[in-house]
Amino acid sequence: MIGRIHWWTVILVGVIATIWIIPVLGIVVTSLRPPSEVALGWWRLDTFSITFSAWIRVWDEYPLAQAFWFTGMLAALATLGTMLLAPVAAYAFHFLKFPFRRLLLILIINAFVLPQQVVVIPLFTLWRDLKLIDNIAAVLIPYIGLSFAWSIFLVKNFLEDFPKELIEAAKIDGCGPISTLRHVVLPNATSPIFAVGVLQFLWTWNALLLPMLYLRSMQPLPVLLTKVAGTYESNWDLRSVAAIVTTIVPLIVFVIFQRQFAAGSQTRTGAKE
Amino acid sequence: MIRSVAETVTDRSGVPSRAGGGQLRLPTTRGWRIKEAPAAWLLIAPVIILFGISVVYPLIDTIRLSFFDIKGLAPAKWVGIGNYVTLFNDATFRNTLLTTLIFTLGTTVISVSLGWVLAMLCAFAPVHTTPFRGMMFVTFGISEAVSGYMWLNILRPDKAGLLNAVIGIFVPGYAHSWLGDPNTALWALIFVASWSGVGLPLMLCFAAVQSIPKTVLEAAYMDGAKPTSIMRHIMMPLSLPGVRVAIFINLLGALRAFDIIYVMTGGGPVRATETVGYFMYRESMTQFKLGYGAAATVVLLVAVLVISIPAIIQRTAGAK
Repeated sequence: MIGRIHWWTVILVGVIATIWIIPVLGIVVTSLRPPSEVALGWWRLDTFSITFSAWIRVWDEYPLAQAFWFTGMLAALATLGTMLLAPVAAYAFHFLKFPFRRLLLILIINAFVLPQQVVVIPLFTLWRDLKLIDNIAAVLIPYIGLSFAWSIFLVKNFLEDFPKELIEAAKIDGCGPISTLRHVVLPNATSPIFAVGVLQFLWTWNALLLPMLYLRSMQPLPVLLTKVAGTYESNWDLRSVAAIVTTIVPLIVFVIFQRQFAAGSQTRTGAKE
Repeated sequence: MIRSVAETVTDRSGVPSRAGGGQLRLPTTRGWRIKEAPAAWLLIAPVIILFGISVVYPLIDTIRLSFFDIKGLAPAKWVGIGNYVTLFNDATFRNTLLTTLIFTLGTTVISVSLGWVLAMLCAFAPVHTTPFRGMMFVTFGISEAVSGYMWLNILRPDKAGLLNAVIGIFVPGYAHSWLGDPNTALWALIFVASWSGVGLPLMLCFAAVQSIPKTVLEAAYMDGAKPTSIMRHIMMPLSLPGVRVAIFINLLGALRAFDIIYVMTGGGPVRATETVGYFMYRESMTQFKLGYGAAATVVLLVAVLVISIPAIIQRTAGAK
């Protein structure tokens, strides 16, 4: 704090922040008020009543519940895949010597700049030829494969400060490279592994482009939302509920793990695909 | 936790043992060396396979396909740089390039400068503004698709849209179709993308401002500097390195934007809000011109690589 508190800055920032969350407030209010009352705007108070009608009806109108579980399953599998594979590879890249190590590492950690548009056409033709369209592997493989650029970088950065003495001690005790990983490195690297998991979960839950293109019969929430939102119906109440259901889980995860997210997204380039 | 492992490791008996003449005899490490490379390959094999399928193969294949004329399932025909020639003679694509430039720069300038100014303001009362920073950072946790939907609600073309209603206070009966008018659709999109993206520059810039030594700020304050001149002459120059990171991240994010365009305008009206990242999707996945779409993707890729050169050099040098 510099000198005394400057209240004018608190007020100014407060006003801007309040304006900032109006759109969020907008869909929450829209979802809770009867459409007849909000025909002229969700903020109007001519008559005011709260109804959960849209929250009850929406599950019959759209396959929201199915999409919810499906999204959770996709995100959980992709998160698990990245949390298992990335730390193991980061360990190999950091502590083991093998041919082409540095070349492979440079390739992987620089891939973070690639936009996901690059995979769209090649994987579409590949999945079509392999009859994998509409198979969850069609999205899980790129979800996990694209995550390595930032996840390996993040874990490897953490390992840079990992005490070398522990590795030496394990070596002297007769641990091979794999038992050193299992008994010494992994148990002491839970924080970056967890951070990687949170980021990957948010990214895969919110993914739109790849599932929209590679899945047909079952689609995750963001894809369902775009289909629902794109119709020219006036059921703003139902669509607002769908939007809230789509974003509530990642939003809660995000709020709880804000700190890790702010640190991690520097390596994940901040793009919220 | 690290300490407990260290204790268990050193507690084990029989490790470096003194045998005869007080000479320290270390166990041989040959076993470790021999097993090292195969073990490493075993550990990275799944990563190499998945990375190969989802990054290396698509990268090479996108470039290869960009030299072919492919329409739907018909056999591919080699056209050399034909796709690129068509691309740059295509008025729509040239317009797309301009749209991409405006969208990318607009979003970056608005979100970074707003985040920066707010970060500096917050630095004058870091504790009291914590909830407000949280409120603005939360929008960053909402996916682009949902953010777009929220703003469709605010930007409704009739009087039930909040923006029209607010303007309506001053101009009675005001009703503008913000997303239906080619002149305002792109700017509406830029504004929404900045709204959704400001949280990250705010946090990065705030961290940069907070890392300025307190003594420097206190000295300026003792010398009677006004808050505005502290911001202008001390905070701005000293937080610049952090701001550069924010600028790079936002440029990259805006270049690859897709979700928000898809949800809010679908590239319209009359393709006025199509960026290169959206153009490639439309040409390849809705028109099934795979080769043409691949050529557009390569153009996007070149743009991304050009702005990423400093970051790539930095990461490559740091890869030990």
